[in-house]
Amino acid sequence: MDILLITELSINGALVGLMYALVALGIVVVYKASRYANLAQGAFCMAGGYACVSIAAALSIPAWVAIPLAVVLMYFVGVLTERFFLRRMIGQPVVMVIMLTLGLEILLRGLVPGLLGSTVKRLDIGISQAPLIVADILINRAYLAGGFIALAFVAGAILFYNTALGVRMRAVSDDAIASWAVGIKVESLIAIAWGIAGASAGAAGVLWGSVQGVDWTLSQLLLKAIAIAILGGLDSVPGVLVAGLIVGIVESVAAGVLDPLVGGGTRDVVASVIILLTVIVRPHGLFGREHIERV
Amino acid sequence: MKLSRRQIVIATAVTLGTAYAPNVLAQEKVIKFGMAQDFTKVYTFVTAEYSQGQRDYFTLVNERGGVNGWKIQAEIVDTGNETQRGIEAYERFKREGVLLVDPLSTPVSRAIVPRALNDKINLITMFSGRSDAADGSVFPYVIPMSASYWSQASVLIEYIARQEKDLKGKKIAIVYIDTPFGKEPLPLLREIAKRRGFELLPFPYAPPGNEQAAVWTQVRRANPNWTLIWGGGVGQTVSLKEAIRNGISPEKIASVVWLSESDMKVVGNEAAKGTLKYEGAASGRDPKIIQDILKDVVAKGKGAGPQDLVGTSYYNIGVLSAALMVEGVRKGLEISKGAALTPQTLNEGLRSISKFTAEGLAPPITVTKTDHQGGGMGRVAQWDGRRWVAKSDWLSADQDLVWDLITQSSAEFKKGN
Amino acid sequence: MFYRLAGIRHTNYLKARQLFPLQFDRLLIGGLCVLALLAPLYLPSLYLNSYLMPWLLWVTAALGLNLLMGGAGQVHLGYGAVMGIGAYAAGHAARSGIPFEIALLLGGLAAAIIGTVFGAAALRVKGLYLAVTTLALQYLVDFVVLHVGAISGGSQASLQLPAVKILGQSVRSDAGLYFVALAGCVVVTIFMLNVRRTSLGRALAAVREKDYAAEILGVSAFRYKLLAFWVASFIGGTAGALLAFCYYKAVSPEQYHIDLSIQMLAVVIVGGLGSVLGCFFGAGLILLAPAFLNQLLSAVSTGLGLKLGTDLMTHAPLILYGSLIVGFLLFEPLGLAKIYDNARKMFLVWPFRHMRR
Repeated sequence: MDILLITELSINGALVGLMYALVALGIVVVYKASRYANLAQGAFCMAGGYACVSIAAALSIPAWVAIPLAVVLMYFVGVLTERFFLRRMIGQPVVMVIMLTLGLEILLRGLVPGLLGSTVKRLDIGISQAPLIVADILINRAYLAGGFIALAFVAGAILFYNTALGVRMRAVSDDAIASWAVGIKVESLIAIAWGIAGASAGAAGVLWGSVQGVDWTLSQLLLKAIAIAILGGLDSVPGVLVAGLIVGIVESVAAGVLDPLVGGGTRDVVASVIILLTVIVRPHGLFGREHIERV
Repeated sequence: MKLSRRQIVIATAVTLGTAYAPNVLAQEKVIKFGMAQDFTKVYTFVTAEYSQGQRDYFTLVNERGGVNGWKIQAEIVDTGNETQRGIEAYERFKREGVLLVDPLSTPVSRAIVPRALNDKINLITMFSGRSDAADGSVFPYVIPMSASYWSQASVLIEYIARQEKDLKGKKIAIVYIDTPFGKEPLPLLREIAKRRGFELLPFPYAPPGNEQAAVWTQVRRANPNWTLIWGGGVGQTVSLKEAIRNGISPEKIASVVWLSESDMKVVGNEAAKGTLKYEGAASGRDPKIIQDILKDVVAKGKGAGPQDLVGTSYYNIGVLSAALMVEGVRKGLEISKGAALTPQTLNEGLRSISKFTAEGLAPPITVTKTDHQGGGMGRVAQWDGRRWVAKSDWLSADQDLVWDLITQSSAEFKKGN
Repeated sequence: MFYRLAGIRHTNYLKARQLFPLQFDRLLIGGLCVLALLAPLYLPSLYLNSYLMPWLLWVTAALGLNLLMGGAGQVHLGYGAVMGIGAYAAGHAARSGIPFEIALLLGGLAAAIIGTVFGAAALRVKGLYLAVTTLALQYLVDFVVLHVGAISGGSQASLQLPAVKILGQSVRSDAGLYFVALAGCVVVTIFMLNVRRTSLGRALAAVREKDYAAEILGVSAFRYKLLAFWVASFIGGTAGALLAFCYYKAVSPEQYHIDLSIQMLAVVIVGGLGSVLGCFFGAGLILLAPAFLNQLLSAVSTGLGLKLGTDLMTHAPLILYGSLIVGFLLFEPLGLAKIYDNARKMFLVWPFRHMRR
């Protein structure tokens, strides 16, 4: 076993995993606050990528200046989604909400490329393509930048939960009715959670869009994000970080090591196998809290 | 007058219903083609420009009075790469009396093949679909009219062989998407590797290919002399980016036909300078036929899409496919002596196309009753930072190996039926 | 006026336990059956082949999913994979010479076994976790089918299917295939209509409402959930095999991808969870709406002279599909079946208005 190969695969894999974790962050924040899973997160990423490209084109500014604008726009998209679509579904069985987010995903996948153009678009945020070689290991510059930005977001989220607003959000995720009772505005906090999900999806969309070009395939980031969210625990933000690293490394190493043996394509399967194993062995994930159903 | 909601709904339904009345304008001499293509799913990277090219060429032909007075009408429908929608569109087209169907999608065309053979409607599978449809004796109504993926691979290897003078002992890697499309050239490449003495190193990546870091790490370590990339859309751009990041020179990378100006823009025009690709039709605005389109169609505002997409690789492939179809119509009208075309006469017309180059757009294409591939010729073009420049003449290579594979595969199909 | 409710007295238990106690209902269903049987006579083959037959086949599959989701309350995002397993198993069985009917049952059996194995793994969890696990099932099955050449049919990845043979006779005509599909649909529909009245149906209802309460009553939740997975997967496998034999005539992996799973889910939910009639309506809407929208859009753009951009026109079916799902879930969560039910309730007392809402 080539140690250098495995190390290189692991480092790049970890960075890619962090970029996936950025998408999963949104899913976890929303689940924490409202106990609903947002299966439209991939579509939000795609919308974020398209938003950045469109804003840059419309205002004739370079793409990296349009990034904060795109992220803010996606924040509001998240808030509006919660307000108009999810609020009517409070109290409905969970399968309905899952289906609603799936329907939203399909709607966005049709609306955004339909209105803004379906050919792949270039998103250049100014990261050079030159290889970065450290001790004979090649590190992908775009993934390095992406990994750091994702890390910053996750760290920001962890810090956020210690602010006054964050403490109130933790209260809502503990027990919504008790929070209402003490006067916490549960609806606004859930809206803020969705906004954060939208913003992190927007950032992830921009990062992934710069790597692979912006088109509808960005919405396929959903499966990996779900795998990470489940592995880490659907209501744990530090879990997203750890799970992202694990999923990224395992995928990369598996693809590098198993592909020649099996003939390719193990990457897709890794996410599914991780989900299955997690659900069988420890359903609430590595760091998640067990949801105890009270009779 | 306050309209109740019910009245508004009824009024809308009536308005749309009247618009649904049959299309009155085209009842003279019209030839219908059915384009049930994938605009929204897997083939998004190519379909928009391809369809624009096709429609612009049909407009050009119609502006010039059509083919002997017969105008061409193309019906465009989206299938989303779903076989069931493709079949539904095909059945509807059949009822409307189209003479040919162009799905530009391998799964959809595969699903339509048995029906097309049964109903005797022409199925055009340009640069897609079943490679063994080149065998006209087994697939009389399935006409690729373009080099199959096997021929494309052989052309690329031939070009590489000419650069290296001798391939013995060299290493050629192929990085491909792990789908039937990506795996398709492998059997042929293995045969050619045996014949020419080079080592083939396959590296698959998972679809859709937006993340290939692990794969290219291994490619870098294997240190091949040349690398082939075999994917479409997002897989191609990420492949090139990863290759550049891993320090592999674009000049040693050769791609399948699915690489275009928009892909290169995503990768970075300057960074990807030197990349090679297989070309079945000339790119750019130089060919006379594209100039005609610019002059007679686009300048008059009748273009089917954005002007800056005119002359891109996929646009030109669309123009070529349309030109071949129109040439088939012309030949068919010759055979039928001016009488209205039926799918059968169009089929005979398509299969009698001889040495057709679409005014310099393509190599001489000859379609016969046994060879639906048209010769399997192509050339290699290189990206110079702004456009694709042809680096070789129109050539074909190892066609005997290609035809071995074709006949083998079509015999299996015949047996299974 | 149409539904005579007054004066209906039952004199034996059989009559009292009828599925359709009102005579108008029975007449309506009888009329529809006659129409369905005579369809090849008056419908042009385009409508028979491309609209009616796939609609019936989709309804058959959706009924299986409805049993699982509406009857037992379990989410299943991998139904497409289950149908695919049935199609491949039946296809290989038929190609190796096994009679068609047995091959169909074998397909259903294979789907049931594999579906239940995953069900057992997934039944530790509920709700979202169950959904995501079945999603993982879908991708795993996709991967296995694509990579094992023996299953997927070689390098062209397309398995040609032999003709349908009923009792040894080849069925090749449009009408014949339509009747095969109709037969499958009728069998499954009758099963689904009656399942509510059986002990299985009641046990599933108990498990759906509150599974720990059912446990306390002595209804083993795990066993009945597993049974629901088994039956639903069997129906799904048979439906998938019928779809492949009668409609596609060849099996390829893309036909049974995640898109099919999501479409089946949409059919069941838009139609109405738990309602048999809802499956019919839902399948009609989801299957046929994109096709009609395409025709409508091209007619509008040529007839009224509006020129819509290609991107928007080609994405319009997706937009419609997404908005249908979202719209129904937001405004009528009980689906099309509820809308029909409202209409029926209005007609029950027509021309009086006191039931109308």
